[in-house]
Amino acid sequence: MSEAKIKSNNLNVFYGDKQALFDVNLDLNEKEVTALIGPSGCGKSTFIRCINRMNDVIDICKVTGNIEIDGVEINDENLDVVSLRERVGMVFQKPNPFPKSIYDNISYGPKIHGKGETKSELDEIVERSLKKAALWEEVKDRLDEPGTGLSGGQQQRLCIARAISVNPEVILMDEPCSALDPIATAKIEELIDELKKTYTIVIVTHSMAQAVRVSQKTGFFHLGKLIEVGKTEKIFKNPDNKMTQDYITGRFG
Amino acid sequence: MSNEHTVKSYEEELQFLVDSVIKMGSLTESQMVDSMDAIIKVDKDSIDKIIKSDDEINKFRSKIDTQIMTLLVKRAPMAIDLRETISSLKISQDLERIGDLSKSNAKKVKPLPLDLPEELLSNLKRLGELVIKQLNDVLDSYVNKNYDKAKEVWEKDEQVDDLTYIAMESVIDFLSKDKKNLDFSTHLIFATKNLERAGDHITNIAESICYLIKGEYLKGSRPKGKVIQE
Repeated sequence: MSEAKIKSNNLNVFYGDKQALFDVNLDLNEKEVTALIGPSGCGKSTFIRCINRMNDVIDICKVTGNIEIDGVEINDENLDVVSLRERVGMVFQKPNPFPKSIYDNISYGPKIHGKGETKSELDEIVERSLKKAALWEEVKDRLDEPGTGLSGGQQQRLCIARAISVNPEVILMDEPCSALDPIATAKIEELIDELKKTYTIVIVTHSMAQAVRVSQKTGFFHLGKLIEVGKTEKIFKNPDNKMTQDYITGRFG
Repeated sequence: MSNEHTVKSYEEELQFLVDSVIKMGSLTESQMVDSMDAIIKVDKDSIDKIIKSDDEINKFRSKIDTQIMTLLVKRAPMAIDLRETISSLKISQDLERIGDLSKSNAKKVKPLPLDLPEELLSNLKRLGELVIKQLNDVLDSYVNKNYDKAKEVWEKDEQVDDLTYIAMESVIDFLSKDKKNLDFSTHLIFATKNLERAGDHITNIAESICYLIKGEYLKGSRPKGKVIQE
């Protein structure tokens, strides 16, 4: 059993008067994929956005409770958010490559984090990241073409390559396949399987089948509360909580 | 009890599957009653009807298979629905095998002499009654999703084993009295063994029902009665 990389302890999130998360206690294991499921608006995206402090950009958002990565509290005011986001990468629902070349999409992060000093260092990072994201073979001859010219599935893998270019420890994925066709989805899922050897991954998904395929642990959220968390196999074969069962079997009223 | 599915047709498809298994179960049960009757009364006229009823059971089995495949493809069932689907598959397989055994027993009536002594058949009759009761109980536990009742059936198979042993002994006893009895006694031995096997399929069904209800397999080994050496 892996160690917990990320621990949340009585985590509460408010958007103005509205409370979005209620006392969430959830451990995410190192080098494992954790899937978060639940109906829209249940708080799963809010939860993962706490892990890289993305909620900071929302003025009315207030977070209480703790989130620790490797035992270090990340809700600390003095924490350097830029370096946190270097350690915790994110991939979104809709592929969002920069309006730049494929090469620049990957090299941008390392450059601003001071990771690639020379052209050859950057070349090496670009190649390694694209290879890790299983995109290298498809784009190696057109690295100077715009990233936005790639297909949807390729764009999403480009975004994953961009996320791993700064060598993070955690990758957050917010419905990374919802805009992709089944083949592109399959490629991303295979990639997730490969990436979990190196990274701790959290994926928000609306596809139960995807959660079963890619994750080892699953958490079910409803109305801002973590209702049940456990081994993925157990959650989908025989969950303990009736609400979980109703949700995954499509019985939610 | 679970709420209804948001998708109504999914609800109906699952219910239809369960209903098919229940119907198949009741056909299997009446076929077993008929075939036991045929043996005890040495009623050769009913053999064809019993053989024919097995076709009906087999048809149900293919129908259930098709329903399950459609459900898996269309709905990708999860949790209780997945267990319901998979247990339907397993239960229908066991019912089909029980049907085959009843058919086989009906065929054994043909070579039996009409004047079989009552004491020879009485133990076989008791065994048949017990297996029929077990089948009835296990189907009941399926209909009512009654875990305790299914588990009781599972445990009671011990009695089937014991009665099988007794019924075998009385046939062998009879056989050893006169070599002329050899031919039809062999058929009775096979019929006895078939009932014991049907009992084993019934315990499989009980196991499937327990898994369906609780999501975990029955723990420990089943109590076993005297076993006939194969």
